[in-house]
Amino acid sequence: MSEQTDTVRLVALAAREIRDHEVCFVGIGVPSLAAMAAKRTHAPNAVLIYESGAIDADPPKPPLSTGSPAVVANTAMIGSCLSVFALLQQGRIDRGLLSAAQVDREGNLNSTALHRSGRPDLRLVGSGGAHDIALLAREVLIIMPQDKRRFVERVDYVTSPGTRAPRLSGRQGPTALITSHARFSFDRGELTLDAVADGVSSAEARACLTWRPPEVAPLRTLAPIDRELAAVAETLIHAWGRDIG
Amino acid sequence: MSKIHSLREAIAENVGDGDTVFIGGFGQCIPFAAAHEIVRQRRRRLVLCRSGADIVFDLLVAAGCVEKIIAGYVGNPGLGLAHAFRRAVEAGTVAVEDWTNFAMVLRFHAAVLGVPFLPADILSAGDIPAAVNVRKVVCPYTGRDLSAIPMLAPDVAIIHAQRADAAGNVQLFGLPGDTLEGALASRRIIATVEEIVAPAAIRAAPDRTVLPAFRIAAVSKVRFGAYPSYVDRHYGRDDEAYADWDSLSRDAAALERWIAAEVIGRADYADYIAAIDKKRLDALVAEAAAVRQ
Repeated sequence: MSEQTDTVRLVALAAREIRDHEVCFVGIGVPSLAAMAAKRTHAPNAVLIYESGAIDADPPKPPLSTGSPAVVANTAMIGSCLSVFALLQQGRIDRGLLSAAQVDREGNLNSTALHRSGRPDLRLVGSGGAHDIALLAREVLIIMPQDKRRFVERVDYVTSPGTRAPRLSGRQGPTALITSHARFSFDRGELTLDAVADGVSSAEARACLTWRPPEVAPLRTLAPIDRELAAVAETLIHAWGRDIG
Repeated sequence: MSKIHSLREAIAENVGDGDTVFIGGFGQCIPFAAAHEIVRQRRRRLVLCRSGADIVFDLLVAAGCVEKIIAGYVGNPGLGLAHAFRRAVEAGTVAVEDWTNFAMVLRFHAAVLGVPFLPADILSAGDIPAAVNVRKVVCPYTGRDLSAIPMLAPDVAIIHAQRADAAGNVQLFGLPGDTLEGALASRRIIATVEEIVAPAAIRAAPDRTVLPAFRIAAVSKVRFGAYPSYVDRHYGRDDEAYADWDSLSRDAAALERWIAAEVIGRADYADYIAAIDKKRLDALVAEAAAVRQ
């Protein structure tokens, strides 16, 4: 294993999924760090949209809120929530970037409530725009820390529907899930180990799951994260200054 | 006719117990001063609504003002859970209707347009549709199935903006978020503003006017009225205050003492602001000035 930390690898591997010129709908936290890292390296023309209404944003520092001053500081356009959700529903958003408290084998995401035995559900923040992004972006990239509590066979609450949900044509739902250790696909509608990070075994990549996912054969190994991207990711994570996930 | 009132009068006359209240601001211009006044006047059984709600909802819940929340998100952005909200929902003392941010914007927009619902391609799968009992509608032209997102018209909207004239024409700069949909959907609108300007200043830049005077019930001048959120061109966001709330609000008893001292125990928002380190506020003002040069 290289010296890069898990958080650097998580942000960098997610950033590499974003192609230049893509229009991305970006949530706060790791999704925003990944999108910013992509824009500062291989995807300078990526168009970052935040649900607060900032269109073609280029934040000088990682924003704490989707409507933070950093989102607005360097943006090309300020629209409204309605105008950016309109772009989403119209099919103008290439990629939505999401994270959540829980993900399951069909790519369903839960950010609403966690079941606890003998006690009321642990109440979380709710959908925000995540449900809308999951159904309406042309592709959805899920970004999750390598954490066993977050991967479950069936989420406690389906906030943002995964691969089995009916969608408009051209809306694929989740197509990839990135952790610090691996890239998963949803090619058959089910979370499938697609590639491992450089220096990671398939068993290590699967260690965050309580079940054995299908694997692509032969299993690919992702190219090492280059020094420039790792440095950019590290700078952003440092500026973020808070726990990842 | 002047719409200018003290914030105390504006809240006393326009926010009643049991009202459905839209609270504006998305990242910026979150009307904290008005929320403090609602707490001071001990309003009860309010139904709060908006798309993404931050700690201003948590404050109102912690102060016992809230019976129900209708929203897409309630949290402390970037930091995690809204702890008072979480405790209240888990204890069953506050009800919650879980929509999504887009759905909430559409609910307000339907009311703005004066129609009972708007069709949309969301709430067609997952657990949210059944939880909020959203109905289906079939397009009479194409046969396409859509969700019928029902209109929501709050009794009163509370918003913050940069400036208004005495007549009540409101000008907002920077991110509006869902503020205008929520305000225009509401029966009454209360605006707090950083400054009151002459009518000529409004009419010299009418493209900046976002709410016309005839829709406004009351305007109150409250400097720093959106602190610790931010106001474009006036002051930056006090991220540390949000982090402080994250720590403080984890302890219900400590939070209750804080509200008694810092909200109920203050004469008004100016009194609360006066107790904040001036250097801290000056730095936020300088930060905002640097962004818009």
